[in-house]
Amino acid sequence: MGVKEPFVVASWPSVPVEIVRAAGFRAVIARGASSPTPTADQHLEPRIFPRRLRHLVESALTGRLSQAARVVIPRTSDVDYKCFLYLREFVRRGVTSALPPVILFDLLQSRGAAVRAYDAARTHALFDDLSAASGRRPSVDDLHREIVRANEARAAARRLMALRRIGSRVSGTEIVPLLAAFWELEPERYVAAVDGAASAFAKRSGLAAPRVLLTGVPVDGPELHHAIESHGAIVVAEVGPWGSGAPGDDVRVDEDPFFALADKYRTDAIGARTPAAALRRRIEQMLDDVDAVVVSLPPEDAVFGWDYPALRDVLRARGLPHVCLRGDPYQAPTSQEHAELDAMVGAASRLQEARRG
Amino acid sequence: MADKQFAATRAALSFQKEWFANLRRRVFEERQPYALLQADVPFELFDLVDMPAVSNQWWASIIAAKRQAPQFLDAMDADGCHGGLCRYCSLGLASTRYPNAGEPPWGGLPTPRLLCARLTCDCIHRVFEMWAEAFGAELFEIDHPGAADLPPRWWELGRHQWRQLVEPHRLAFMVSALASLVERLEAISGRTLDRDALRERLELVNEQEEVFDEVRQLIATAPECPIRMTEQITNVMAAQWVRGGAWALSHARAFRDEVKERVHAGVAACPGERARLMWVGAGLWHDTGFYTAFESSHRAVFVWSMYLAFGPDGYIRYGLDDPMAALASRTASFNEYLHNPPWAAEWLVHQAREHRIDGALVLRPRSMKPAATGRLFIERALEEAGIPVLPIAADVVDARAWDAEVARAEVRSFLDARVLQ
Repeated sequence: MGVKEPFVVASWPSVPVEIVRAAGFRAVIARGASSPTPTADQHLEPRIFPRRLRHLVESALTGRLSQAARVVIPRTSDVDYKCFLYLREFVRRGVTSALPPVILFDLLQSRGAAVRAYDAARTHALFDDLSAASGRRPSVDDLHREIVRANEARAAARRLMALRRIGSRVSGTEIVPLLAAFWELEPERYVAAVDGAASAFAKRSGLAAPRVLLTGVPVDGPELHHAIESHGAIVVAEVGPWGSGAPGDDVRVDEDPFFALADKYRTDAIGARTPAAALRRRIEQMLDDVDAVVVSLPPEDAVFGWDYPALRDVLRARGLPHVCLRGDPYQAPTSQEHAELDAMVGAASRLQEARRG
Repeated sequence: MADKQFAATRAALSFQKEWFANLRRRVFEERQPYALLQADVPFELFDLVDMPAVSNQWWASIIAAKRQAPQFLDAMDADGCHGGLCRYCSLGLASTRYPNAGEPPWGGLPTPRLLCARLTCDCIHRVFEMWAEAFGAELFEIDHPGAADLPPRWWELGRHQWRQLVEPHRLAFMVSALASLVERLEAISGRTLDRDALRERLELVNEQEEVFDEVRQLIATAPECPIRMTEQITNVMAAQWVRGGAWALSHARAFRDEVKERVHAGVAACPGERARLMWVGAGLWHDTGFYTAFESSHRAVFVWSMYLAFGPDGYIRYGLDDPMAALASRTASFNEYLHNPPWAAEWLVHQAREHRIDGALVLRPRSMKPAATGRLFIERALEEAGIPVLPIAADVVDARAWDAEVARAEVRSFLDARVLQ
């Protein structure tokens, strides 16, 4: 992993970074890549686990997580949960011995009456576990301090995002890595980096390109943004925690930080278990600001495809062109997909011109 | 499809058809509420407030067996639902959302008053929300906290020490979720759930599953398998959907007695049995003839599926002083028992040994992604236990990509090369 300070690895950014930091760790979040995962492939069924989990398991089985204090797997999706069970089983069966303790962060996201208290208790348990791992014994005040620091970083990320909305001064390919860094960078360094970039972007003149929303299975890197923007469009928003969804709302600073964090992450965490209605509301709010939509549904998708027929109907009703991509987002789109993107951008340009009169 | 060898099988099939006709009459003529449920929801709670419940998986299996699945699934594809989405749990939805695409069995599902699902797989929330919307009906969701402590030999702990099997916070959550469900059921039905009645019902469920345990032992120990797997499933599941009820218990006993008579009389499902096979996964509902296709050619008989075996091991709960907690403990970990490491593989190897299995056919589901996890652990554990494994790629309700002849040829080769060599 190449990280020198004590760190914790998480499989998805729905593990409260405030707790990780209060316990004295840096958060490292698993991401996908196009590189092969030969060791993991021997143990993971094909077309089920996304690349980020295949890479996490590859790292686990080849000893690259041995320096982590903990591996934390949130209950953000069924495959994350299965990954937790697999990692535990690899240790039990002696497939690997170089793995730190693996923890399940069982944050539920449904609307049931008992869910809120359950989530707060699980958040507290995570705090206790990571504190014990570091030996630091942080206080509730320490946790409050981390909440305030992270909220400052969230405010900086929101300032950056405003530059996408107002005059489209920055491409999605450029901005997504900056937004994604929210999860792993120390808040002060993050604020400095983001504010510096925002100042530079603000000096630019606005881009006249059609504005695209990227939705479907959340992407964790800018590869798909690059492919879309190569057709002359600009991605101004994406549904997922690595882009527009990174900052979200602030965490409440009140007496019980565990309830505050659990509420925030339950509501804001975007993944396969985010309630469909909440996701629909989010997407529909974003549609007012865009000229076209790209829906990414890679082969391992088992969830977001169910939302597609309703989304397609909404897009048709609004007259917004869209493309549904079924390929691996880490690979270049096929020539057919490029042709579809080209046609979509052409239609979006005409729509944009018509709107401007 | 092979002839039915058991009178109990014919009785089970006719009971299900009559039960469904009675359900339609109650709903249409008497305007009584009924519920549509995922298979792992505790049906007992619905029955105790006199609200009949239809299982999604049972309904999907009926549609598939009546060869109507391709039409409904084609309509779903045409609507933009890609081919990687789970077809088993959504076939019922397709029959409601695209009513003109095919001919739903037995007149089709009437509109339920309530749909209820445990959120085990991620897609269940989506499927049931769309289904509730298509019906204009209410949806009640029971979330699924993940198990982190998975002690060995769950099937032994579950009977007497079920509190040790589920972590206290998960058990408390499930009790609370079931209490909320009961509140909702009481409001809809106008009836109060009697805790003593729940205890009595769970005692009857225990009795029923003990009867199935006897059947399982008879099958495991008889010199030759007395009953085909397909008939085991029909008899067991007809009773499981109404478990603990008068018909279920009486049918379970009649079924057991018939199996026992055959064992004592030395009657085998496939006389001259040479290979005992295990089916791991949900049933191939669109091609149940697959399970008897190797009897005449190889004297190979499917002896085991989860449907009978899971009843006694998954459902029996002794110590019913707090019946809701016992029910919650049973409900909490279904998914982990059947699919996930270490529990699924450990149980399957144990069952394979008990049943003197010679070869295992393991379903590789084409579209049921959550059910497809854990498969490699299962295949390896069986092979390590000396049981040859043949993976079978198939969708359990979607026959469109199923080549029956190719699949049968693969099994014949497997039997020749690895089981009967």
